[in-house]
Amino acid sequence: MKLSRRRFLTLSAASVGAITQVGRARAVRPPWAVPRKWYEGEVRTVLSYCENCFWKCGIAVRVEGGKVRKIDGQKDNPKSRGRLCPRGQAGVAQLYDPDRLKRPLIRVEGSERGEGKYREASWEEALDYVAERMLKIKEQYGPEAVAWFGHGSGDTWFVEYLPAAWGSPNAAKPAVSICTAPRETASQWTFGRPIGGHEPVDWTESRYIVLIGHHIGEDTHNTQLQDFSEALRRGAKLVVVDPRFSTAASKAHRWLPIKPGTDLALLLAWIHVLIKENLYDRDYVQKYTVGFEQLAVHSNKHTPEWAEKITEIPAGTIHAVAREMAAAAPRAVLPPGRHTVWYGDDTQRMRAVYILNALLGNYGMPGGFYLAKPPYLEKYPHPPFPLEPAAGGCSGSSGGEEEVPEGFKPRADKGKFFAKTTAIQELIEPMITGEPYPIRGLVCYGTNLFHSIPNVLRTKEALKKLNLYVAIDVLPMEHVMWADVILPECTYLERYDDLVAIAHKTPFIELRQPAVEPLWDTKPGWWIARELGLRLGLEKYFPWKNIEDYLDTRLQLIGSSLEEMKQKGTLVQRGRPYLKGWERRRRNPFGTPSGKIELYSQTFAEHGLAPLPDYTPPMPVPEGFYRLLYGRSPVHSFAKTQNNWVLMELKGTNEVWLNRAEGKRLGLAQGEYVWLENDAGVREGPVRVRLTERIRRDCVYLVHGFGHKGRGLRLAYGRGASDNALQTRYLLDPISGGAALHNNFVKIVPGAPRPKLKRIGQLARERRL
Amino acid sequence: MARYAMVIDLEACVGCAACAVACVLENEVPPGHQRLWIRERELGRFPELTVEYRPEQCLHCERPPCVPVCPTGASYKSEDGLVLVRAERCIACGACIAACPYDARFMNPAGYVDKCTFCAHRVREGREPACVETCPTGCRVFGDLDDPESPIHAALERARRVDVLKPEQGTAPKLFYLNTPARTGLRDTGKEVDA
Amino acid sequence: MTTFYGLPNAEPFWHWTTPVHFALVALAGGTAFYVALRALRKDPSARRLAWLALAFIALDLLMLWAESPARFRLTHLWLFLSFKPSAPIWWGAWGLAASALLLLLLALGARGERLWAGLLALSSAVVLLYPGYALAVNAARPLWDHLLLALFPATGLLLALGLLAWLRPAAEVAPWLQVAALVSLILTVLYPLALRFGNAAQQTAFAQWLEGAGTFAAATVLLAVAAIWARKNPYLAGGCAIVATVLLRSWIVEAGQHTLLTHGF
Repeated sequence: MKLSRRRFLTLSAASVGAITQVGRARAVRPPWAVPRKWYEGEVRTVLSYCENCFWKCGIAVRVEGGKVRKIDGQKDNPKSRGRLCPRGQAGVAQLYDPDRLKRPLIRVEGSERGEGKYREASWEEALDYVAERMLKIKEQYGPEAVAWFGHGSGDTWFVEYLPAAWGSPNAAKPAVSICTAPRETASQWTFGRPIGGHEPVDWTESRYIVLIGHHIGEDTHNTQLQDFSEALRRGAKLVVVDPRFSTAASKAHRWLPIKPGTDLALLLAWIHVLIKENLYDRDYVQKYTVGFEQLAVHSNKHTPEWAEKITEIPAGTIHAVAREMAAAAPRAVLPPGRHTVWYGDDTQRMRAVYILNALLGNYGMPGGFYLAKPPYLEKYPHPPFPLEPAAGGCSGSSGGEEEVPEGFKPRADKGKFFAKTTAIQELIEPMITGEPYPIRGLVCYGTNLFHSIPNVLRTKEALKKLNLYVAIDVLPMEHVMWADVILPECTYLERYDDLVAIAHKTPFIELRQPAVEPLWDTKPGWWIARELGLRLGLEKYFPWKNIEDYLDTRLQLIGSSLEEMKQKGTLVQRGRPYLKGWERRRRNPFGTPSGKIELYSQTFAEHGLAPLPDYTPPMPVPEGFYRLLYGRSPVHSFAKTQNNWVLMELKGTNEVWLNRAEGKRLGLAQGEYVWLENDAGVREGPVRVRLTERIRRDCVYLVHGFGHKGRGLRLAYGRGASDNALQTRYLLDPISGGAALHNNFVKIVPGAPRPKLKRIGQLARERRL
Repeated sequence: MARYAMVIDLEACVGCAACAVACVLENEVPPGHQRLWIRERELGRFPELTVEYRPEQCLHCERPPCVPVCPTGASYKSEDGLVLVRAERCIACGACIAACPYDARFMNPAGYVDKCTFCAHRVREGREPACVETCPTGCRVFGDLDDPESPIHAALERARRVDVLKPEQGTAPKLFYLNTPARTGLRDTGKEVDA
Repeated sequence: MTTFYGLPNAEPFWHWTTPVHFALVALAGGTAFYVALRALRKDPSARRLAWLALAFIALDLLMLWAESPARFRLTHLWLFLSFKPSAPIWWGAWGLAASALLLLLLALGARGERLWAGLLALSSAVVLLYPGYALAVNAARPLWDHLLLALFPATGLLLALGLLAWLRPAAEVAPWLQVAALVSLILTVLYPLALRFGNAAQQTAFAQWLEGAGTFAAATVLLAVAAIWARKNPYLAGGCAIVATVLLRSWIVEAGQHTLLTHGF
């Protein structure tokens, strides 16, 4: 970097200025001069949206000398509001990561998947290769035999657009069944509305906030953190329910160190207190809900004393919090959280959360949940797809029966659970067993197969059986280096993507535009999708020649234009956040069968599911083991930032959090290296032990996303332990299809060797472009 | 002239390190060194716990010990209260690094001593330091102590408690920590639990 | 417990070259001081010795320049273009420069020998004093106690005398060697006591000192030997003096850089 910035001043005749320093020659910089900083040059700003997590903050990219130098928040963007989290800021390091995929790669003929033997190819050859084999699979097995996995902005192309045009219902996003499915399904069947990617919690108007395992401050969704901080500054009281003393817990007025897996009992006890002591909002319940009578009867047995025995939280505390909640109502809220696939009964737990919110009378009210409205945005006028995309997403529709058009098969996980969105982990079995029908091909876009889907060994077995496995990605992650064809996408700073529509208090649309040209021979996702589509005989669905045409057409349909959006970055519209606004227009916000908030779900009852949530104990922890819990670090996103030198310098590894007293009992020293072995015999590590008071004795905790095994990731390789590798067991939530991941148990095996790895700073210097 | 100072409300800080990353990108901080880092301290015993997240950087002291020891005058205190380094004069002797009680300084591989500058290049244009601008919790306030209109005065007055690092060194730091949980948040004044 | 995102810049900032410099500068300053003393006593051999002192100064300056990250930036000019009497290194730069000039004048036999010698005594004293000052000025590092203002000049001179004991007639150097060794011995014993019975910061430094207690014990023994055998066996005494002073000075410089990561509040 230093060398490329070294400039010898060349003064043009016009720009002669008096230079005051002693002995400074006009044309040559003196030896004691220091390299110029980027902000002294000419800086232009490009407005776009971030890709470093899935919050999609509007960003202002500073470009100088043809390189991206810094990324700031966008002042007028309702997500970033001029501020940006650490990963968003560090996107520059991802752009210039020398370990990035540079050219299309094709697996050497005769080599095994996972061996890592590749040859470089042109885009033509690589795309032809993929298309040829996909068409062969379609001919032999049908279009449904190709599965499409994807996450990230480009997933609109690879999990919605292309699969629907191609005719495969087996398109899935990990964000659904490995993350938000329970809260979305529960919301759909309680409120008749999604929660959506931007949780509609009215933080700053709230007076009392109860977080159920919600890691605010560690999961660092920018706006949420801003609003949460503002709420506390305005004097809101905070209660955190978590087996671990999280960052959020450190800001709380009460921390309830709940026994893992028993949150539902606590929620039911709160419902009980609100009903029994008449603390619920009668008017609200009467006007906006159905099923209260059944709920009241059902709630009889859920006393705080009953809950105390289960949750290990004193009944007095349970009472007190319920009363405090009610006193602050309707400005008392239990936010929904995001990653809710915990124990297998998660939809029911989320139903309890929503019921509680409804009893507090906060849904659609200031300080509770606001009613998020999607922005007005038209789809591109392409011919209708043969199939409706079934992948869902953060705000995917998850209700009702899906219709399977003539000549197409239903999705391969149909019937395994109630919701109608695909569950990515349920699409792995068909690849191995061929039941209910074979899946022979996989297009995997930006989805870290070995760091997200549970039971990694099963995933590897499935990949070995496929006829075709294509990976589209930015970095040489371990799973990428198993593919038959690797198509290198350029980063978000080098490309356009589809418009993003955020349902919000003030709904808005965001544009992504490139700040610099793609490096090496990488291409944007839209281009790859289009080129592939043309080769697959899907020309009619790609009437647009390029992305500018596509975007401009969509924007023209709503009275804007691409030119306007490039200047503004974000287009904000009017919302309708509270019930009053809806009632004034005689509109009903609740899309449930009854048209009201369903405390009791008739639909669930009709499908043989419990219409009211009830508590069942989680799998017990085997003797000598600990329950494996996981979460985030604010400087990392999932498993995608561990090769980013700026972020790795701040946190270069994860550690296993173990209760100090437990550590003492096992004779462990602070910072000692250990193995983690789960109850299926899978071993991870070596990983450092963090002896701490901040966690209960019955569980351990890991930050997700470490333990990388891809050798091409020179910074990430070999650091820490992968929680996903230890998650060999999952329980399928019968309602949402979520894969519950908290039922994995590990034991600590001491005596692991200290990994011989170079320091991040040193590696970063050695690797410089 | 001005007397620039900064305030960090530790009750609000969640230790997300957005400030640390913004600083690296804004100021081209080389790998292997930090102008700004976050210290996370755990205090107490289960379940009576407190965690304090504390960003640390150069404190731009009023009586900086790093200035008198510099033999070339590269390390100096500006008229607006910033402690800066004239890199063109630095002989990289490291005397200032030795003198700093706060580990704020480091040797930039380009051959001069480097540290937090309160983003002097931004501040003098009327903008805020990069760390202040990006902080998602809004816990940082930057201002001019000599300007009665500056928001920094309100922040200092509102605070229940104001602390500085190592006051016994007599350096009179101008980075003030407000409402430190280590003193205000502890119900059970436990000492730091260290192995 | 304490964890970090990133780390404070608490790594050592002076590497192996710095203790080497401390040894070289002691040889330079000590030899120059001795030259001044001999010249004031009108000793003709002082002229030859001046060349040796000059060589030490040149070697020291070369080493300082070569190990500096700023060596190609020519910023060292500013040492002589600025006025910073509060900076120990500024004094060191001027002390070495002045001593070099004066040594050259003496070596070339320029007239006014007494004047040059007198001035050289002053400038070489500065050279002997400034390293201890460069350490002691750092209030944030209590291991570098104010006592070093005395200990470092004493051991610096002793180091030079130790070498000179091998190069000069024994009778000439031995008395000086004995006095220097005795003074150094006393200061070496006083140092940990001053820390142990000092204020809170000094007592924390004492805990650090304990890690080097073995080194100090060895050095104390060697200094005692040097003091006792200075007249009887100057070669042995000289050798012990050299080893002891190098051990002490190197350990103090190295260990003092490791801040105990105290929190500040």
